[in-house]
Amino acid sequence: MLPLLLIAPTAIFALAVTVLPLGYTVLASLQEFPLVRPPAFVGLQNYQNLLHDANFRGSLGTTLLFTVSATGIEFVLGLVLALLLKEEFSLQGIIRSTLIIPMVIAPVVVGIIWRLLYNTDAGLFSFVIQSLFGTNLSVLSSTTLALPALILVDIWEWTPFMFLILLAGIQSLPQEPFEAARVDGASPWNIFLHLTLPMLRPVIAVALLIRALDAFTVFDQVFVLTQGGPGTATEVATLMIYKTAFRFSQFGYAASMAIFLLVLVAGFSAGVTRAFKERSV
Amino acid sequence: MSRWVSNTTKKRFWFLTRLTLLLLALIITLLPVYWLVNTSLKSPVEVFASPPTLFPQNPMLGNYVSLFYRRRLGDYLLNSLIIVGTAVLLSLSVGSLAAYSLARFGKSRLQQKINFWVLAPRMIPPVALVVPLFLILQRLGLINKHLGLILVYTAFNLPFVVWMMRSFFQEIPVDLEEAAMVDGASRLRSFKDIALPLAAPGLAATSIFSLIITYNEFFFALILTSTPAAATLPVGTAALIGKTQTLYGEMAAAGVVAAVPLVIFALLVQRHLVRGLTMGAVK
Repeated sequence: MLPLLLIAPTAIFALAVTVLPLGYTVLASLQEFPLVRPPAFVGLQNYQNLLHDANFRGSLGTTLLFTVSATGIEFVLGLVLALLLKEEFSLQGIIRSTLIIPMVIAPVVVGIIWRLLYNTDAGLFSFVIQSLFGTNLSVLSSTTLALPALILVDIWEWTPFMFLILLAGIQSLPQEPFEAARVDGASPWNIFLHLTLPMLRPVIAVALLIRALDAFTVFDQVFVLTQGGPGTATEVATLMIYKTAFRFSQFGYAASMAIFLLVLVAGFSAGVTRAFKERSV
Repeated sequence: MSRWVSNTTKKRFWFLTRLTLLLLALIITLLPVYWLVNTSLKSPVEVFASPPTLFPQNPMLGNYVSLFYRRRLGDYLLNSLIIVGTAVLLSLSVGSLAAYSLARFGKSRLQQKINFWVLAPRMIPPVALVVPLFLILQRLGLINKHLGLILVYTAFNLPFVVWMMRSFFQEIPVDLEEAAMVDGASRLRSFKDIALPLAAPGLAATSIFSLIITYNEFFFALILTSTPAAATLPVGTAALIGKTQTLYGEMAAAGVVAAVPLVIFALLVQRHLVRGLTMGAVK
């Protein structure tokens, strides 16, 4: 009895703030919330509208592009850095301390930092671009450049995460196979391809999963930097749901989008976890 | 001999490549942060200087003064401290109990299922919960109140707390507690007097981690609080942007106030932090 009693308070919190609201989201997604009257059931109407909503489709595409680009570039950069710096060296402490900084700065503040750098009045980034190319580029108000600018911010903020997790993974690998391969005269490239990568797979899978899930629900930096604009060029899914619910008060429609997103995320996580499990057995 | 020479050249080449890369990574990481501090110390005129000045020509604290006197940043800071402090304490006390239970009695099948369900909420995107949480808290009159955000933050910290504390409790040998119980101590007594003190470093690491996550949280804070009566520092900072499009100095100062204490804190305790950030994927 005691074991369950100790868990009970946690369970109550989870029930009240996670399970119950989740059920309510499903319920709300089947409803309409008119301003003056109580909510009314509309069946699957919200989901039907969702399927024909070009804005939502566009928003999902933007989110996907953001997630894949950011996560992919962060992974490659993090891996290269980790491979180059895997041996112990004198500066390691400083590097580690420095790289922690972007991760612990509040995302809102990260947004502010890059607003300062990107601003066309006297931003450092804009100034450098202007000196190099002679054009005053307003990246955040360009429909083509705003999303890459946001991706760059994400890379700055989260490459350290990839680096630290991959470095820890590489440093915890057993040394014997590598020594044997070196004795046999394998090239560094072959060692990387046939030893390091396969042995590192569990760590890589977790790193990519954590990062991709976070990037897929990015909000704070986008809110601070572009508010989804110009137009809807950077309107990621979470931001669109936020606007739908809290600016246009369409709670039911927002709930149906949220459920759609949740199913995508859950499916993706389950897929990655399963693929990883099957291969490692 | 020639082979030896070529080996040293090769080594030197790699050493230099590595060093260059390191310095580059350091500069790219630190320059934006430096720019924030730099801008926060500039006068409203100097902020627009072209080319931008690398050091504030007449460093001044005017931006900070204005933030606290005119923009009520102190109120937001106090709200953050109250909400974050309470939520971390609450989730640590509630979560440790569950973590202990899972660590000590976690072998049965029911418990293993509970293990999974403890971590599952972490996978749910916050946006899937925010509409009902807003509607429920609105009905309870808890919108723009400390308590509303405290409850939400506690619940969202719990998966981490339970999961991290469980691994710390598991590292404590069972024998110690069994010996105490043979001597007549109750299970709760042995938890309080033996397991909890031994897990103190774990409690510290876990609280640091939840503190950072909660202090930086923006999404729920934005939706569930709005005025200086209850809004947290990130919300107050973001609100500044909308109102003061071109007051970059004040924006930067607010960023410094929101970020610097935490950065210093994080650097002091970084070892624990990496473990939490990577969710124990690597120890």
